[in-house]
Amino acid sequence: MTQLTQTSGGLVTDDIPVPRRPPAARKGLLSQRSITQVISIIGGLALWELLARFAVHNTAFLAPPSLVAIRFYQMLRDGSLLFNGWVSFQELIGGFVIGVAAGIIIGAAMVQWKQVDDALEVWIAALYAAPIVALAPILIIWFGFGPWSKIAVVFIMVVFPMVICTQAGLESVDRRLLLVARSFCGSRWKTFLTVALPSAAPFIVSGMRQSVGRGLVGVVIGELFGAKAGLGNIITTASSVFDMPTLFVAVVTLALAGIILTGILRSFELRLAAWRDVA
Amino acid sequence: MALIEFIDVGMTYQRRGGGETVALERTSLSIAPGEFICIVGPSGCGKTTLLHCLDGLQTPTSGRILIDGREITAPGRDRAMVFQSASLMPWRTVLRNITYGLDLQGVALREALPRAQKMIELVGLVGFEDRHPGELSGGMQQRVNLARALVIDPEVILLDEPFAALDAQTRELMQTELLRVWDETKKTAVFITHQISEAVYLADRVVVMSARPGNVKAIVPVPIARPRPASARRDPQMFAIESEIAALIEGSHTETVVSV
Repeated sequence: MTQLTQTSGGLVTDDIPVPRRPPAARKGLLSQRSITQVISIIGGLALWELLARFAVHNTAFLAPPSLVAIRFYQMLRDGSLLFNGWVSFQELIGGFVIGVAAGIIIGAAMVQWKQVDDALEVWIAALYAAPIVALAPILIIWFGFGPWSKIAVVFIMVVFPMVICTQAGLESVDRRLLLVARSFCGSRWKTFLTVALPSAAPFIVSGMRQSVGRGLVGVVIGELFGAKAGLGNIITTASSVFDMPTLFVAVVTLALAGIILTGILRSFELRLAAWRDVA
Repeated sequence: MALIEFIDVGMTYQRRGGGETVALERTSLSIAPGEFICIVGPSGCGKTTLLHCLDGLQTPTSGRILIDGREITAPGRDRAMVFQSASLMPWRTVLRNITYGLDLQGVALREALPRAQKMIELVGLVGFEDRHPGELSGGMQQRVNLARALVIDPEVILLDEPFAALDAQTRELMQTELLRVWDETKKTAVFITHQISEAVYLADRVVVMSARPGNVKAIVPVPIARPRPASARRDPQMFAIESEIAALIEGSHTETVVSV
């Protein structure tokens, strides 16, 4: 017994553990990267302003950024930007959430059951590659001028890349982890929830990041073909009267939404993938 | 009375494009409760196949494996495997990796966490509960791997070359630690390795297998007193047993060369 206590010396450090990584160096406002970015943006805007003022002369062809900024401010003040932006945002989120959920379910079903994969594979490949926005007018006819037709357009834009990413994620699962689950008597469902789905999570979020831009395009296309409100509607109305500044306000708002939504999903993606970096 | 019995166990794989590979042939072996068995043999002798069959991950193509008199057909709660590569879930913390088997078996977290905490103490990981596997060294990952198997409180613990990827010093330390844990838990252990000195240091009996087809060539008892501290490695009796086993394995190598 004495020998036993001798050998059991509590924590025996067999070797030094890998230290926790220091938090990534924060991007300072004055870092080389942000300086380059700011110069690039200012330079681009200046070039645009000069072209519009001294080369084109006609705001119906090209509005200078200064005019766009003023119109942006006016539309914020009178509430038209927020109202229309909110309509588009709701349509985007509605179609995005339904599309992501359906994409995950379909992708998972295709990996779990061979027959589902055999049945759907060709359809998914064809519809993912096809210029599917061409279906937008049909969807407007089916679902009317209200939000549901736009939700439908966003849905078809989002669902196919989500199916493909989910599939890729689930197929990348480490076989050894599946063996662990089987050895511990894991049911098929619990194995899916505890091994396959967490392994696929970074792929799924990456798919969401890629689809959000497609979803934005879907909203605008849907609204172009017929809507009572929304950023796409602003674009249609403004272009019919050659009101370039208003048109650009809608486009810039969409671009900003794209940057913000992609950024949010990107940071989520990096957090999920954190264990990959250190592993 | 034997706890585990292999009765004429055989495993034949169908090769792609016809032909068969015989991984195991009429292998018989019985293991007593509380015994520490090491299986050594050259690569390709079917030792991992044997262990997977015992866990129920694979089904032998002939013969039967009994545990407590019942035939093994699938993985069960009376057996737990310590895998060769640590095979931890990289997104789970150390603590939640240890509770993984309990989670799958539907044990409530309220009960699972204290049990896992006890295992953390047993394998010497106090202070590392909330780390992720990527932050651990190879040796520490194998401690988690071991704790994950022990926490479900199996009758038999199966170890598939768990220290093969570790450096020599860490490996020896882990062997001593394993014996300490085994002394405290009194599980029946079946340990696979290709390193003879590891087998002799750990085992009550060393099963020597021959390759192609895999078969039990000899069973060598290790009558060295327990507990065995690290210094037991320098016991001359241990060297004698090691060279006996080495000779047996070399014999099996020349046999295969001659027969080919």
